[in-house]
Amino acid sequence: MALGGVHLRFGANEVLKGIDLEVRRGEAVSIIGPSGSGKSTILRCITGLLRPQSGSIRVGDTQVEALRSEAELIALRKRVGFVFQQYNLFPHLTVLENLVIAPTRVAGRDRAETLREARVLLDKVRLSHKEAAYPGELSGGQQQRVAIARALAMRPELILFDEVTSALDPETVGEVLTVIRDLVQEGLTCVLVTHEMRFAEEISDQVYFTEAGVIVEHGPARDIFGQPRSERTRAFLHRALGDGPRNAPARPAPVPETLPFERLRFAL
Amino acid sequence: MSDALLAQAVAALRTVGLNYAFVLDMGERSAFLRGLGVTLQLCLLTIPCSLAAGVLIAAALTSGRAWLAKPARAFVEVTRNTPTLVQLYCAFLVLNMLITQHVKLPGGNPLTPFVWVVIVVSLHKGVFHAEALRAGIEAVPRVTLEAARSLGFSQRQLLSRVELPLALRFALPSLVNNLVDLVKMTAVASAIAVGDVTYESIMIWTQRDNVLELLLLILIFFGLLTWLVSLAGRWLEERLRMPGYGQ
Amino acid sequence: MASEIALSRPRHVMRAASDTPAWRRPWALVAWAVLALLAFWVATGTTPVAFVHLWKWSPALLRGLLANIEISVLAMALGTLAGLVVGALSLSPLRVLRVVTRWYVQVFRNAPVLVLIYFTTYVFPFELHLVSWTFPFPDWIKVVLGLALPASANVAEIFRGAIQSIPSAQWEAAQSLAFRRSEIFRLIVLPQCLRRMLPPWMNLYASITMSTALASLVGVHDVVDTAQIASNTVARTDFTILVYFTLLGLFFAYCYPIARATRALERRHDRH
Repeated sequence: MALGGVHLRFGANEVLKGIDLEVRRGEAVSIIGPSGSGKSTILRCITGLLRPQSGSIRVGDTQVEALRSEAELIALRKRVGFVFQQYNLFPHLTVLENLVIAPTRVAGRDRAETLREARVLLDKVRLSHKEAAYPGELSGGQQQRVAIARALAMRPELILFDEVTSALDPETVGEVLTVIRDLVQEGLTCVLVTHEMRFAEEISDQVYFTEAGVIVEHGPARDIFGQPRSERTRAFLHRALGDGPRNAPARPAPVPETLPFERLRFAL
Repeated sequence: MSDALLAQAVAALRTVGLNYAFVLDMGERSAFLRGLGVTLQLCLLTIPCSLAAGVLIAAALTSGRAWLAKPARAFVEVTRNTPTLVQLYCAFLVLNMLITQHVKLPGGNPLTPFVWVVIVVSLHKGVFHAEALRAGIEAVPRVTLEAARSLGFSQRQLLSRVELPLALRFALPSLVNNLVDLVKMTAVASAIAVGDVTYESIMIWTQRDNVLELLLLILIFFGLLTWLVSLAGRWLEERLRMPGYGQ
Repeated sequence: MASEIALSRPRHVMRAASDTPAWRRPWALVAWAVLALLAFWVATGTTPVAFVHLWKWSPALLRGLLANIEISVLAMALGTLAGLVVGALSLSPLRVLRVVTRWYVQVFRNAPVLVLIYFTTYVFPFELHLVSWTFPFPDWIKVVLGLALPASANVAEIFRGAIQSIPSAQWEAAQSLAFRRSEIFRLIVLPQCLRRMLPPWMNLYASITMSTALASLVGVHDVVDTAQIASNTVARTDFTILVYFTLLGLFFAYCYPIARATRALERRHDRH
C-alpha cells in the first residue's frame, strides 16, 4: 500500500499537506504524532471514507482516489479492515452475530463456514465464552478485541488500527495490545495510529512521525526511537515518553518552539 | 349479559348516587356500545396510519434533498403548533366542502367525517412520530455507521441493518408515548359528529342529564385503551432491548 | 470528528441559524410577501371581499384569542402550583402518599383532555353558593380547571423526572459535605431541576394553549367559537376558508415562537 503526495482540506483547514507513506506486505507500520496532526485522516483516506483533494493512494493494484462508485468502494473495503477507537460494534447484535454479519451480508459467504471461522477468531482473541453476549455487556477492552476479530473475519489484506486503545483504561489496554502483537507476529500487514510509544517501538517495522499534516520523519523503529534525526521528533518523544536514556537529546534541550499544530485544534 | 343482571347492577349503583338507567334502555345502550366500537376502530386505524405517515415524513426530513426536506419541515412546524381541533375543522369544513363542490363523483363525496378524523389525526401524530424517529436516527453514533461502512456495507444495507434498527430502539419510548396521546386524541372526533363514544355519550346525557356517570365510563374505557397501548409498547421494548447499552 | 464532513450525504450538516440574516429567514420572507400583498390591495382598493370581512372581524377574533391566552395562562399557573405539590409528595418517604400521587398522575395523564373539560364544565354547578352570596361560575373558569388537571399531572411528572435525573453522585457529594436533606434540596438539587424542567414545561404550555381550542365545544367564546360565528354570519364560502386558515395562522403565530424559544433553551442546556 502506498500514499503519494496526498493533500486533504476541510473547508479552509488544510489537514494533510503532502503525505508519502509506504507499507510492504507483512509489515507493521506505526504512525505517531501529536493530536491534530492528521494521523486518523490518513487512515480514513486509505479506505475511502475521506477523499483527498490531490495525491495518489494505492492499495495493491487499486488506485483508491480514482474509485467513484459505491460498488468499487465496497470491493476495496472488503480487502481493508478498520478498527476504530469507540462504538465499533453493533449494539443490537450479539458478539457472534457482529462477527458473522459482514462476511455473510457483504461478502456473501456461506453462513455455516462463517460461523466456524468466527468461533476460531473469538478463540484467538480469547473471548469464546462471550459469543452470546451483547456488546453493552462487555468491557471496553473486550469490545475492542471483538472489533479486531470482526475486522479479521473479512480476511483482509491490510488492517488499519485507529487509536484503538486511547479510550480504554490502563488495565484493559494490555489485553488489546497482546492481541495485536500476536497478529503482527503472525505476519499481519497493518497500519497503527497509536499513542502507545513503547508498543509501537516493539512491534513496528517502520514508524512515521507526523506533525501538522506532514511526515516529519520516518524509518525503522530502531532509528526513530533511538536516534531521531529531526528536532521535532526528539521534542515529541521527549514529551511523550519522559526522560529515558534512549531519548535524551545529544545536546541541552533547546527553547521549545511554538509548534504550529497547537493552532489546528480540530477534534479528531 | 342478561337484563336481570344489568338491572341489579344499575340498582346497586343507584344507591351510591349514580344514575346508570340509560343502560337498561336498549336503544341508548346499543348507541353507547356502537360508540365504543367506533372509538376502537378509530384507534386501530390511526395507529398504523400515523406510524406510516411518521416514517414517510421522517424520510423526507432526513433525505438531505431540500425540495423534500423544506416542505416537510414547514408541514411539521405548522402541524405541531396548531390545535388538532382547528386542523380538523380546516380539513373537514373547508377541504371537504371544496371537494364536495368541485369533484362530482357518483354517489357523492366518499370522504366521510370518520375518514377525515383518521387522516387528520394520523397526520398530526405522524409529525410527532417523525420527530421521534429523527431524534433516534441522529442518536446513532456516527462511528458505528463508519464502522459498518468500512466493513463494506452498501448504503442500503447500512440503513436497513444498522441505522434503522438502532434508530427504532432509541425512538421507541417516544413513539409509544405518542400512540398513547393518539388514543386520547380520538375523542376530538365528536366535534365533527363522528359517532365515537364521546359523541354518543353527549347524545345520551343531553337527554338524561347523567353526565358524571357517562364520563366515568368513558374515562375507564380510555384508561383501558391507553393501558393496552403502553403494555404493548413495553412488550416491544423488552423484545428489542439491547442488553447493557448505555453504560 | 474530522470524518463527519466528507461522508457521502450532508444530512447531518446543520446551517447555524445565525447564517441567514433575520430578514431573509423563511418566515420573514412569508411575512414580507403578505405585507406586500396587503399594501397592494390597500393602495389600489382591490381588496377581495373576503378579506374586507376578515378585517372587520379581526378585532373580535383577536379578543377571542385573548380569551384563549387567558385560559392557558391561568390553567398553566394553577397546574404548575398543584403539580409541584403533587410532584413533591410523590417523592415522599410515606408509601401511601406515593401511591395516591401515582394514581392521580396516571388518571389525569391518561384521560382525554376533552373529557376532562366536559367533566369540569358539566359536573360543576353553574353557580356557587357561599354563605349567602351567589357567584356565577362562568364557563371559562371551568375550562381553566379542566385544563389545570392534566397540566398538574404533567408538571408532577416533569418535576419527578427532573429530580431523578440529577445523578446520585451529587446527592452523595452533598451529604458527605454534611448538608441536611432539606438543604440539599434547596441549594443543590432544586436549582438544577428548575433548569432541566424548563423545556418540557414550555412544551406543556404550548400544548395547553392548543387545548384551549376545545373550549369552543363547551360554549366559551374563544377564538374558534368567534370564527364559527363569523363564518355563519358572513355565509360566504371564500370567507369561511379564509377565517379557518386564519385561525391556524393565529395559533401558529402564538405557539411557534414558544417552540423556537424552547428549542433554543434545550440546545443551550445540552452543552452542559
